[in-house]
Amino acid sequence: MSDMTDVELKIFIEAVTHYFAQLTREPAAIRAAYLANGEIPHFDFTGLITVSGRYRGCVYFSTTGDALRALLAEFSEPDRREANLLDAVGEIANTIAGNARKHFGKELEISVPVTIHGVPDQIRSAVRARPFAILLTWAAHEAVVIVDLAVADA
Amino acid sequence: MKLLVVDDSNIIRSRIARATLQANLTNLEIVGLARNGDEAVDICLRRKPDLVTMDLTMPGMNGIECIDALLRVAPDLRILVVSALSDKATAIEALKRGAHGYLHKPFTDARLAEALVELMDGLEERHVRYDRR
Repeated sequence: MSDMTDVELKIFIEAVTHYFAQLTREPAAIRAAYLANGEIPHFDFTGLITVSGRYRGCVYFSTTGDALRALLAEFSEPDRREANLLDAVGEIANTIAGNARKHFGKELEISVPVTIHGVPDQIRSAVRARPFAILLTWAAHEAVVIVDLAVADA
Repeated sequence: MKLLVVDDSNIIRSRIARATLQANLTNLEIVGLARNGDEAVDICLRRKPDLVTMDLTMPGMNGIECIDALLRVAPDLRILVVSALSDKATAIEALKRGAHGYLHKPFTDARLAEALVELMDGLEERHVRYDRR
């Protein structure tokens, strides 16, 4: 189970809402934030960040291809092929995890994003039981941020 | 003035290039888009940019190491870090290593243009100082 506090969960909620507020004309709406039991929610495209250092675990952002195409349209990006959808989902995951360092500091060491299309075993093996899930809607598209962080053993 | 964009994300490289063109920054020409530190050093040696936007979280050589590598081959470069890493310690380290500015992701096109103008102004001031010697 994640060792995170409510305050720390709020850091990630703020990071994801700030991302959409800053870069798009429509804010993201948080639908739910909860400890996920059983099936970990995800969509077709996922950007996975591995966390090391004082903390261990992972952060991922997952959404649909339609959401990513809409986001690239907001950026006036004409190339909306799969490679750029993967690039976008990885960049969002990187931005959310990187912004969280404002609270956690440099000791939240984050990897470059691993990007995944499909239903991956990689996600299941990266996330432990009961991570925090933040479900959101942006421009009628669904997305989720999964945060699984624990303080590393000394 | 010549700009090199360094970021492992294709969409960020494209966004910075597009935003720079749309901002109509006179005298600013993009001379390279590098996906990693090795490409950045190679382009820097061949195209001799004046300004660089630099991501920090990249595979292989990270952005801090890339700042060191670029300043070894081009000590007068002015570097704007463009990164999601939002802790103070990382920003301070980047500035100590020789970066001239730090712009957090996510950034708006307007904020990027402002940061580039500040970087260009610094370069112009330096040229004026050298000219007066």
